[in-house]
Amino acid sequence: MKSLKFTTCIMVAAAVLMMALPVSAVAGNVYKLGLSLAITGPTSDAGNPYAKGVEDYFRYVNDMKLLGDDTIECTIRDDKYETSITKRNFEEYLDMGIVFYLNYSTGSTLALKRDFDEVKMPTMPASFHAGNIEGSDYIFLPIASYSAQAIGLAEYLVRKHEGKTPKVAMFIHPSAFGRGPVEDIEKSIKAGLDIEIVEVVEHGQDLDNTAMLQRWKSKNVQYVISQTVQSPVAGMLKDASRLGLVAGKFGEKDKITFLGAHYTGGNDLIALAGDAAENFYWTTSYIVTSEPGAGADAQLALAKRYGRDDKAANSHNYANGVMVAQVAAEAIRRAKARGNEINKETLYQEMLEMNGMNAFYPVTTVGPVTYSKDDHQGVDTLQLYAVQDGEFRAVGKPFIPEYTEKIKK
Amino acid sequence: MTYFFQLVVSGIVVGSIYALAAIGFVLIYKSSRVLNIAHGQIIAAGAYITYALTVWCQIPIYISFVLSMIVTFFLAMSVERIFLRRLIGEPIISVIMVTIGLMSIIDGLIYLTPFGSENFSFPAFLPTEPVVFAGIYISYTQIVGVIITFLLIGIFSWFFKKSTVGISMRAVSDDQMASMSIGISVPRVFGLAWACAGLTAAAAGGIIGNITGLNFETLHAFGIIVFPVVILGGLDSLPGAVAAGIIMGLIQQFASGYLDGNFGLNGTANLLPYIILLVILLFKPHGLFGTHEIERV
Repeated sequence: MKSLKFTTCIMVAAAVLMMALPVSAVAGNVYKLGLSLAITGPTSDAGNPYAKGVEDYFRYVNDMKLLGDDTIECTIRDDKYETSITKRNFEEYLDMGIVFYLNYSTGSTLALKRDFDEVKMPTMPASFHAGNIEGSDYIFLPIASYSAQAIGLAEYLVRKHEGKTPKVAMFIHPSAFGRGPVEDIEKSIKAGLDIEIVEVVEHGQDLDNTAMLQRWKSKNVQYVISQTVQSPVAGMLKDASRLGLVAGKFGEKDKITFLGAHYTGGNDLIALAGDAAENFYWTTSYIVTSEPGAGADAQLALAKRYGRDDKAANSHNYANGVMVAQVAAEAIRRAKARGNEINKETLYQEMLEMNGMNAFYPVTTVGPVTYSKDDHQGVDTLQLYAVQDGEFRAVGKPFIPEYTEKIKK
Repeated sequence: MTYFFQLVVSGIVVGSIYALAAIGFVLIYKSSRVLNIAHGQIIAAGAYITYALTVWCQIPIYISFVLSMIVTFFLAMSVERIFLRRLIGEPIISVIMVTIGLMSIIDGLIYLTPFGSENFSFPAFLPTEPVVFAGIYISYTQIVGVIITFLLIGIFSWFFKKSTVGISMRAVSDDQMASMSIGISVPRVFGLAWACAGLTAAAAGGIIGNITGLNFETLHAFGIIVFPVVILGGLDSLPGAVAAGIIMGLIQQFASGYLDGNFGLNGTANLLPYIILLVILLFKPHGLFGTHEIERV
């Protein structure tokens, strides 16, 4: 009887001790991350699937125990595309003790650049603006910058163009986000890229682009490179289609071939422009689900696992969100494998060492992620896609633009 | 010369759609002296209702278009009844602040639906090949847009000139006290003005949505884009809204066609309407056709 009493006491004591122990000692460590982005407000058509991609991949990491008993807790907050809210979110994340930060817009990344450096926080924005990483040690672009994308498109059209120097117009967003690539394209021309920039147009909220398109026609513009979001591009394509100006095949004589960088394309462009999106050429470093492959399968499986609808599952911005979450999780996994404590310093070091044999291959990109002290641009490889029968189809093999390196010298 | 006439046609098309969007502002201001800041959101709501009826409820788009105008008619009337009716007699700034609040509420409600953060486009219901006449291109969507705009403008002009309700609305606009003294229900007129504004907003939303695709940011921005049109035409003038809309459309097309990209200029199509607006307001502070009120002290 006495021994039964003793055993019961021991068991109760053990249970009390277990409950009193910190949760982490029982369930592993919790690594806190933060994401601030536009789930509502301007550009939320990109932000919404992006947030879902981030959320799903971190859930997957935790559910599949990819970090053992340790888990990632990523707080996602809507900043409505307002820098003041982004700043407040970031400061609150700092108070929470985050070890890695995911940001979103070009404006807020440029505005908070100093803050990230001051607190030494490794940061990945959804903006690929080259200016984000100028003078910053802690910002890492997920993929090739908008400049690299525009240069890549220009190089492609030079290779494919027949005849004299191709005449190109640039159709850009009236902001740092849109203007970024213009200067780098001009530098590339000085470095030998054989194109002539006829005009750079910063678009407004135009109901009709007839005048602009007719003007381009009168100036013999053959190609248009866009660096903006889908909606104005869709408007331009619809008007160009009505005017019979869209090239039926790349570089068709007396017609205009339209091309664009990451945020101009994807399924949202097809949703907005409909048939007028046919033969639109688009570049990004992400895979698309309309091209069968292991990456597309993985993306769709992840979205299905967490009950996402078709629109989110097939979005290149969902792929974008999955990718940044993968990179952050991979940095944590590597730091953990080395036996390091997980904090912003060790994760920063892991990011810098993600190159050469240590390059990381996410499922949703067309090339490896490589970072170093001098290279804060993740995936350098780009893939060209074109809309064919209402879907984006790969054109050629993935490539790395040459002039991005040439203009650095 | 073909180039010139193409710009004229495009300018008239764009201008008439501006006019249709601007009419909603005018209708409300004309009767209640309130500037509805949430007008862009109502335009977007009208476009989304048309889309939902067409695609989700499988109703033919022509019927959906009319139904969405009816729905928005009652929606705007309810908004006036719930939020604005009790503000009659309050300072005008309070009423404007309520419309700003209303803008946030409608924004929030739309963000709760897929429309807030996804892009859509209406199913094609007109021939996609444009009409070409003497080298000038115009799409069927644009033609239908212009026809609907002028039809609605014609109906409203008749309504205000000939119908008893329209005349009572004009009377309220002129003098609320005098109108009440002859038995006109001012609250009813306010409700009707909001309802008619909702109806025109839905029409504008449907047309703009067909042209640009359904993107919330693009759609609700038209509430602000047409603001110079409303000011230029005169806040309380329907013909003013039409004339100013077409003037603005033509200015934008000519600026884009002849100035942008030449003489080192860029973006004049977006800037020029505002410059012209400022110049005209210097000489005609009530707009081109606005009522010049004389206050005797």
